[in-house]
Formats: sequence, C-alpha cells, structure tokens
Amino acid sequence: MAVAVTTLDDVGAGETVQVADIQGDDGVAIRLLEMGLTPGIAVRVVGRAPFGDPLELEVRGYRLSIRRAEAARVIVDAA
Amino acid sequence: MEQPSRGTDLERLTVALLGNPNTGKSTLFTALAGIPTRVGNYPGVTVEEKLGRLTHRGRAIDLIDLPGTYSLAPQGPDERVAVDVLRGGQAGVPRPDVVIVVADATNLQRNLFLATQATELGLPLVVALTLFDIGRRRGRSIDTCELSRRLGCPVIPVAAPLGEGLADLKDAMLAASEGGPPTPLALEPSRIADHRPAAARDAIRRYALIDRLLAGIIRDDAVRRLPEDRIDRLLTHRFWGTLSFAAVMLALFSSIFWLAAPLMDLISAGIDALSERLATALPPGAVRDLVVDGVLAGIGGVVVFVPQIALLFLFIAILEGCGYLARAAYLMDRLLVGVGLSGKSFIPLLSSFACAIPGIMAARTIENRRDRLLTILVAPLMSCSARLPVYLLLCGAFVPDVAVGISWLRLPAVVLAGMYALGVLVAAAVAWAVSRTIFRGPPQPFVMELPGWRWPQAAVVLERAREAVWSFLKNAGTLILAVSVVVWAVSTYPQSEPRIAADVAAERASLAARVTDAGLPEADREELAEELAALDTPAGLEAARRGAIQRGSILGRAGRFVEPLVRPLGWDWKLGCAAIASFPAREVVLGTLSVLYNLPPEEAEGTALERRLKAARWADTGKRVFTLPVALSIMVFFALCAQCASTLVVIGRETQSWLWPVVTFTYMTVLAWLGAFATYQFGTRLGW
Repeated sequence: MAVAVTTLDDVGAGETVQVADIQGDDGVAIRLLEMGLTPGIAVRVVGRAPFGDPLELEVRGYRLSIRRAEAARVIVDAA
Repeated sequence: MEQPSRGTDLERLTVALLGNPNTGKSTLFTALAGIPTRVGNYPGVTVEEKLGRLTHRGRAIDLIDLPGTYSLAPQGPDERVAVDVLRGGQAGVPRPDVVIVVADATNLQRNLFLATQATELGLPLVVALTLFDIGRRRGRSIDTCELSRRLGCPVIPVAAPLGEGLADLKDAMLAASEGGPPTPLALEPSRIADHRPAAARDAIRRYALIDRLLAGIIRDDAVRRLPEDRIDRLLTHRFWGTLSFAAVMLALFSSIFWLAAPLMDLISAGIDALSERLATALPPGAVRDLVVDGVLAGIGGVVVFVPQIALLFLFIAILEGCGYLARAAYLMDRLLVGVGLSGKSFIPLLSSFACAIPGIMAARTIENRRDRLLTILVAPLMSCSARLPVYLLLCGAFVPDVAVGISWLRLPAVVLAGMYALGVLVAAAVAWAVSRTIFRGPPQPFVMELPGWRWPQAAVVLERAREAVWSFLKNAGTLILAVSVVVWAVSTYPQSEPRIAADVAAERASLAARVTDAGLPEADREELAEELAALDTPAGLEAARRGAIQRGSILGRAGRFVEPLVRPLGWDWKLGCAAIASFPAREVVLGTLSVLYNLPPEEAEGTALERRLKAARWADTGKRVFTLPVALSIMVFFALCAQCASTLVVIGRETQSWLWPVVTFTYMTVLAWLGAFATYQFGTRLGW
C-alpha cells in the first residue's frame, strides 16, 4: 500500500498538524512560506467558509485564510 | 539631493512607514500626521500614494505611507512600489532618510519577517510595535529592550489610538536620522541542500532567524478570554456567522440605498432652488440656459453622488477597522471565485446595486490588480437605482398585470426581478469569460490575513470617507460636469425660431388630423384631444417648444440618424434619441422622453408620460410604438448598457487608463443591443 501524502486541504476543522513541505516554486509557494507556513511549524485548521472554501488557519499566532487549491500544496504530518 | 544634507536641522526629513497590511499603519499615520497633505496614485500605477507632514522639535518631517507589504521580495504592483520607494527608485519620491517598520505586537513573528528584511535596506530603522495595548490586554509582555538590542535598532511600543508612545517614536525618528543604518541581520546558510528558489529558501531561513530573535522575549500569561473571542466564534459560526453576515450586508446596502436617498433629495432640492433663483435673476437667453440647464444641472449631477460615496466608505472603513472586511471576503469567496472574481469583489458589487460609482471606488479594497479590474468591469452591470424608474414605468405601463402561477405573484414584479437577475447573470458570464481569456495568467496567490477584532478608529474612518468624497469631486467631478454640459449643448442647439414655430405648427396639424380619426380607440382620441388643448395653454406651448428644440438639436438629428440601428429593437427615432440623450445618466431617459413627447420634463415621474407613451403610434403604419416586446427590449437595453458618463469617468480615474472606460462602454453597448434585439424579436415572434 502506497503511503498517502496528506495535504492541508484534507485536514478537518479543529485539527492541528505540522507543515512538512510546500510544493512548487512559484509565487504562490513563496508567499505561503513568507506568510509563515514553513516546514516544521504547527498549523491549526480553524474552519472552513460556509461554501467549503477557503480555509481559516491559525499559524504563528495569527489567523490566515487560503483557498483549498493553495492548501493542497501544503504537505503536512500529524502533529 | 537629500543625501548630503542628512542630519542638518534645517533640512526636511523624509520618513517612510513600512508595514504589513492590517497592522494599524493607517491609524499610526493619522496619529502622527493627521489629514494627509497629498493622496493620489504613483505615476503609471494604480497604487495609492499617501503623504503627510508633521513637525517635531522644530524639525519638519515628510511622512510617506507605503502600500501594505508582506515582503520586500515583491509580488504585485503595491509591493513593488514600496520596494522602489525604499531603494530610491520611484520617480518623484525622495529616498527616505528613516524607515519606520510598523509591526503588530499581537502578530510579531510574521511582522518581523518584513522588519528583518528591512535591516538590509541600508537605511536608519525604527520599529514601531503597534496594537501594544491589545497585546497587553491579552496578557502578553514583550521585552522591547532586548528585542531592540537583537534587531540593532530602536523598538518603540505604541498604542496609536491612545496616543501612547507617539512622542517616543518621533524622538526615535530624529535620533535615527542622526545615526546610521542597523547591521543587516544575516540568515544562517541552509544546512541541507535545497532546490527551492532563492526567495523561498530565504523565507524559511528568515523564520528560523525570527524564532531565534524572539526566543525568551515574549511572555504570554495565561491567555485571558476576551469578549472579542466570543464575538469571533459567533461571527465565524457556520449558521450564526452567515446570518450575521447577511444582516451586516443588508445594513450596508440599505444605508447607501435608502439612507442616502433623503440626503440626495436634499441636494437636488437645493440645486433646484438655486437654479430657480438664478433663472429669475439672469436675463433670458443662451447664457442663462447654459448656467442653469447646463452647468448648474451638471454640478447637481456630480454632488448628488456624494452621500452614497460617503456612506459606503464610512461603512467600509468601519468594517475594515474592526476586522470584518476580510471575513466578509472569506465568507463570500467561494461564490465569486467560480466566475473568476474573489471574495473581495462582493462589497463593491453589492454596492453597485445602489450605484456603480461608489461600487467601483470600493474596488480599491481589492489588492489583487486583476481581480480589481475585473470587478470594475462588471460592476456597472448590476442594476443601479437609476435603472429603477425606467423599469417601474415600463413594467407598470406595458407588462400585463396577470398572476404568474400564484395569485399574489404578478407578472410586472416578475419582470422587474428578472431585470435584476439579468444583470447579475450577464456579469457572471462576462467575468467568467474574461478571466478565462484576456485576463488569463498564472494563478494568483490568495492568502488573506483575518485580522483580530478591534474597535475601528473614528479618525481613520472619517478620513477614509473624506478622502473618497474628495477624490471623487476633484478627479471625476470636473470631467462629469464637462460631459453633462456638452450633452446639454448638443440637445439644445442649433436653435432657429422659424423651425421651432414650424415644428409646433406641424404637431398641431398632426394632432388635429388624428383627433377626428374614427379608426382610433376612444382612449387614444381623448389623449390626443388633451394634447391638442394643451397647446393652447402657455405651459403646454412651452413644453411643445422645448420638444421642438430637442427634436431639431444635434441630438434629435442623431436620433433620426441612428433610427436604422434601433429599428431592429422595435424602437422609433424618439426612443433612439432618448437612449443617446441618456448618456450622462440613465435616469435622464424618462425626462428626455417627456420632452420629446411635448411634456414638461417634470412629468417623467407622473402618469402623463405613461398615457402619452401608450397613445404613441408609428407615423407610417399607425401601429402602437409601445408594445410589450418593445417595453421589454427597452428594459433589457437599459439593464445592460453603459449609458452613464459618470461611471465611465470614474472607471477611467480608478484604473488610470482611458482604455477601460472605452472597453466597458463598447462591450456593454454591444451586449445591450444584442439583448434588446433578441428580446424584441423573440417577443414579436411569440406574439406577446
């Protein structure tokens, strides 16, 4: 059985995970890193907007909102 | 030029405020400099330039409020401008002598990202820790002395709304201008080989640096639960949050739709009173007509927008100040992203249902350039309040009052709702199509901070509204005035007395001939008799003369000229003429129709116009002009057309380019014509 990679968009509301890596090397990836989603940091998924997208995250003591498409680039490990 | 004189007491000091969005940077700017001395755009880009002045200990200081920036590795025009100004590469802006990094004390890790980058600028630096009071209330204490030592530059805690720390900050600015730049904080080289681009590697190492910088400096006492935490849980709740969102948006919309109405009426009444006094004071003639009907009416047409703009920006500034604006965008994002817009487009588009002008101006809150432009392009498709009188008259007069399915659901109401829906659907389609063709590009990062809840600052809120109103009056107002004067002129000239007399005589003869036509229904003949009798009253004769002037003017002739173009829509030349005359503003169409039908323009709101339109017939076939398909085709045209010079002027001003108003006018006019054509042709075929 292949080991499934978990990305941030799969994480349920209220769960806390740890960022493992950000995929890609374009402006989106750079901005996610600049906003503090760096490897090793703990992220809590606070919730989702009523239509399921975007996500509300808590990282480095502040609240950040990113779309699912962006969250799918954030590979996470269980914290 | 500034460089050699740095440190001389006589020289002005240039200080730049650099900071992340939502850090209380505007509040700090207002607290330091008060009302900005200059607000505008950096040349060639739609990035706001805000300058202010203050004096401290006899030293004059120019304060530059840089656009909110997350990083000095810029993405997007706003961040690029900030970096250019700091490097001294922005034309017309001197390189700052001192940089104040505005850092939110409640969100220190991410804010230090920019602060540590700023140590590499080679400019004297001061860090202002804003929202210090809020941090304190949350039980957070920061060892600012140690932080200052580690950063190599002064760190001043400030609570701008309370005025705490402002004097220290100003002292630090002056002191920093005497000293040199801090030693750049070096990032540790990566221990592992990394394939990432430099900016990404830099970001990871910079956060490692920040973790080291902050180690042992922040002490968070047992986090006390604050009222805003409860509010947050309520406002982001799936059900209650959505409900409160609807309530807030309803309040916003009602304020610009209904609250503004009495103020707008007051302005109109004031202009009317003024024009009446001027009309009696000035001798009759071309000058009086120009002053009263041209210039004064034009000024009224500009000032009338002020209440809506002021109210909307007050509202937006309050929402922004308390942190709700970002949450509104968060809640609505999914709905709008499907058609190529973003959550931040919601409030500008909602406001456009009252009026596209404040709506387009509200698009300033959208940082993403592409999303902002697309929002501006489709905002005029929302049915604004100026379309409502047109819909109401035509729905009331020409849509049969029959039930649709249920007895209380009447057809005129359904058609009215349909017009609003049409605008929304077409806007969605246009946004979808444009975002997938012309505006296609690499995916834009949507990373939006949801700032903490706080009280909006009255000074910032008022400044925002004042600035919006002022920039509208100054930048757009003059041009809107010029356009309305030109349209007034082409609808009034050329005039020739013999031609006016001949036109009135011809009207009289035509009425006299038709009033005895036994082939016409009784109601029509009554209307004709009334119209004929009116010609013998002074008011009726004056109205007929005005009609004659309009019919003989450049505009009237243009109406006849475009008749072949509007015939496929089921329109006669008078309708074509009224559509062209409504270029300054859609609501003018009813007034123009009144004049063309020999009624005083004030009759546009009464039933007289309705009766006269119902009696109007084609000269050649004798058939009625206004049938259901024609009424629908007019409504569809006005739902989709860009007949609003003020909107186009504001689009030009907001996008800093005359290309976009031209694009907007063209695409909307084409859509309006096609829509009206399809409606009329379908309606006629179906035998409505």
